[in-house]
Amino acid sequence: MKNTGQLSRRQLLGAAGFIGLAALTGCGSGGDGGDDAKDLSKKRDGAMRDYQAGQQFKATKPLSFTILHNNNPNYPMKGDWLFWKELTRRTGVTFKATPVPLSDYEKKRSLLIGAGDAPLLIPKTYPGAESAFVSSGAILPVSKYVDLMPNFRDKVKRWNLQPEVDSLRQSDGNYYLLPGLHEKVKQGYSLSFRTDILDKHGLSLPTTWDEVYQTFKALKEEYPDLYPFTDRWSTNTPFPAGALFQYLGQAYGVRAGWSYLNTSWDAKAQKFAFTGATDAFRQVVEYLHKLVDEKLMDPESFTQTDEEAFRKILAEKSFAISANPQELVQNYRYNLEKQVKGATIEMIPVPIGPAGPVVLGGARLENGMMISSKALEGDDFVALMQFVDWLWYSDAGQEFCKWGVENTTFTRSGPGQYELRPGISLMGSDPDAPKDLQKDFGFYNGVFTYGGSWALVSSSFSPDEKKFTDAMARREPLPTDPPHPLRAEEQEQATLWDTPLKDHVTQNALQFVLGKRPLSEWDDYVKELKAKNMDRFIDLHNQAYERFKKENA
Amino acid sequence: MVSVNRPTRGYRVFQGVNGVILTLVVLVTLYPFVNIIARSFSGEQHIRTGEVTLWPKGFNLTTYEIVFNDSMFWRNYGNTVFYTVVSTAVAMVLTTCYAYVLSKKNLKGRGTLVGIAVFTMFFTGGLIPNYVLITSLGLKNSVWAIALPNAISVFNLLVMKAFFESLPSELEEAAQIDGLSTYGILLRIVLPLSKAVVATMILFYAVSFWNSWFSAFLYMDRTELMPVTVYLRNLLAGATAGTGAGAATENLTQVNANIQAVTIVLTSLPILCLYPFVQRYFVSGVMLGAVKG
Repeated sequence: MKNTGQLSRRQLLGAAGFIGLAALTGCGSGGDGGDDAKDLSKKRDGAMRDYQAGQQFKATKPLSFTILHNNNPNYPMKGDWLFWKELTRRTGVTFKATPVPLSDYEKKRSLLIGAGDAPLLIPKTYPGAESAFVSSGAILPVSKYVDLMPNFRDKVKRWNLQPEVDSLRQSDGNYYLLPGLHEKVKQGYSLSFRTDILDKHGLSLPTTWDEVYQTFKALKEEYPDLYPFTDRWSTNTPFPAGALFQYLGQAYGVRAGWSYLNTSWDAKAQKFAFTGATDAFRQVVEYLHKLVDEKLMDPESFTQTDEEAFRKILAEKSFAISANPQELVQNYRYNLEKQVKGATIEMIPVPIGPAGPVVLGGARLENGMMISSKALEGDDFVALMQFVDWLWYSDAGQEFCKWGVENTTFTRSGPGQYELRPGISLMGSDPDAPKDLQKDFGFYNGVFTYGGSWALVSSSFSPDEKKFTDAMARREPLPTDPPHPLRAEEQEQATLWDTPLKDHVTQNALQFVLGKRPLSEWDDYVKELKAKNMDRFIDLHNQAYERFKKENA
Repeated sequence: MVSVNRPTRGYRVFQGVNGVILTLVVLVTLYPFVNIIARSFSGEQHIRTGEVTLWPKGFNLTTYEIVFNDSMFWRNYGNTVFYTVVSTAVAMVLTTCYAYVLSKKNLKGRGTLVGIAVFTMFFTGGLIPNYVLITSLGLKNSVWAIALPNAISVFNLLVMKAFFESLPSELEEAAQIDGLSTYGILLRIVLPLSKAVVATMILFYAVSFWNSWFSAFLYMDRTELMPVTVYLRNLLAGATAGTGAGAATENLTQVNANIQAVTIVLTSLPILCLYPFVQRYFVSGVMLGAVKG
């Protein structure tokens, strides 16, 4: 759940690497994608006749499905979880799970799919990662069968998710991933400030990026020898200060940092533009340059490890740092309280910039599920789709996956409010509790629990997270990219251009920010991008967009 | 080999300098080790602020307790021992036989046999074909999936072959005259004389099987079949991936702070204990084979 942007990029890279493999292994079995005549009448074993949204799914005869299970060491899979038992009781379906260590889940997934040995259900797949498997024909073009999934369609419709779901379409017009669906964008990262220091000097928490600058400036006047702001999330990531760039970029309406993509959708011109050459991106760089130039921001922010960064906060060498709600509570506040007398730290909603109160679009899809093509050969295919629809997309299924069984693991204290039964703890909520919702009961498991209505998603937030996300949920999402799937040979070409371009943007953004390259050379930098095929790269995507629009009008 | 002459002045200087440099190298290589051990016993606060260097600060055993109390840890640890013992035994038998055969200069087709082995050093079938092969052979979820594909390390094979070649052939001829069969010669003459290289090979194989995780990760489908390396790898990934929302607890932050150090200590300890016993063979064995071969 943490830093989704970073993860999905890693997955994309892995996917790109896998394309070659998939192409090699999958040449044999490409033929069965074309026949649209889908006669499912013989595949209705165990299926319900009139399955509808909001209805409890119950197979008409006992079924069992195989599933790849991402084995999280914080709650290792156990056979005696209440989750399995209760699931079979409610739906008549038994899971046969293959546990795969979380550390190398993607590797094993690629291997199993490549070898034709994959279980029917392959969850925990991030949008984009499925592209690598498409050409092999091993994955079900699931978009053809969503009419079997009333809850899924209902949620897509009610929450206006169709454009986002459409962005998953591959060049054949189908999508192959059932994504996790969020009603609202969940924001994770923002700035945090030492509030006791601000209070001491009569400063208040900033709400816009201009105010952030003013606050840093005021702090600098009080502590001329210190950098008011130091930052982290710069190591083990392709984009230094990835979190900061991401939420600062958002305020300028541009994808930067962890969410950086070379293509940006320009809604006004109705075409794609190159992100690293946009005006907005330059403004982001200029803003950070100003902070570094006036010694308001620690220049080591872009190279130091997370520990080094936080050590400066602990040593009171800096007073602001990027945060997410977990880090704020579990790391910053916890350690500051122990080591610095009277220290308090707060996270602010992402400051507002020139783009107004917006959040990046497209972030409402989470990791989701691929279904093996083999599922279609089974006589219980319809039941499988109905079951998937119930467990992952119905309100009842999502509540069951997250909180468990009413009066056994939780009680309802109000609409959308859940309370764990005494003696049950969730992620340390009650250190003395003998049982743990995840470890001992198998609920709140990342394999089954993601997305959902805002009420359900926010029901597990800590007070800090709730405050932060509620503020962010009121903002307007920016439009999502329209679908522009590339053909296989275009994809290959685009991948060759993509990485050098991205690297050039990353390196130069950093040099501009740190003042190693003067901002007056911006035009030269754009010229260099052109020399690296920026225009042809964007043309490729624009052509794909036009083509898709025409073919699927 | 010890020289009776008084060492020259220059040689003494060389020895001194050499000693100093080597001591420094030892210290540099030892420091991370000592540091890891110190961290594994230290309190979370001191680790986070970077105070721990050579000696534990804020002595704390929470992480050890948590790891030790997990039955899956012991189960996987047992698997590692089992896999290592079986795989090493299989590898030793096969490698010894292969190497002994290759060391016979009068063997017809010897070049081809060497070629077959060396070929695998440069070309492999690739991940997916290997996986399909192992699966079709029905080896999945058994120790053989780990032991058989890795049974012959070509490097070890060549070292052993060189060692066998260096043994005087007169010895074997004498044994033949006294009426020993081919197998008798191998078992009663050659192997007893090759303790050095055998011990070395056991160490090489045992260490590589002990540390390996990839084949088990590929071919094992159940958590209780995994070796401890996979268990710890996963634990590390979990600790760095964060644990989600909720209030902090003392234990959790402590575990996150030094789980890495604790796991490294726990996995390298046994194999570390093995080294001193085999080391004397280790030095003479490899040199013998390499110089004369």
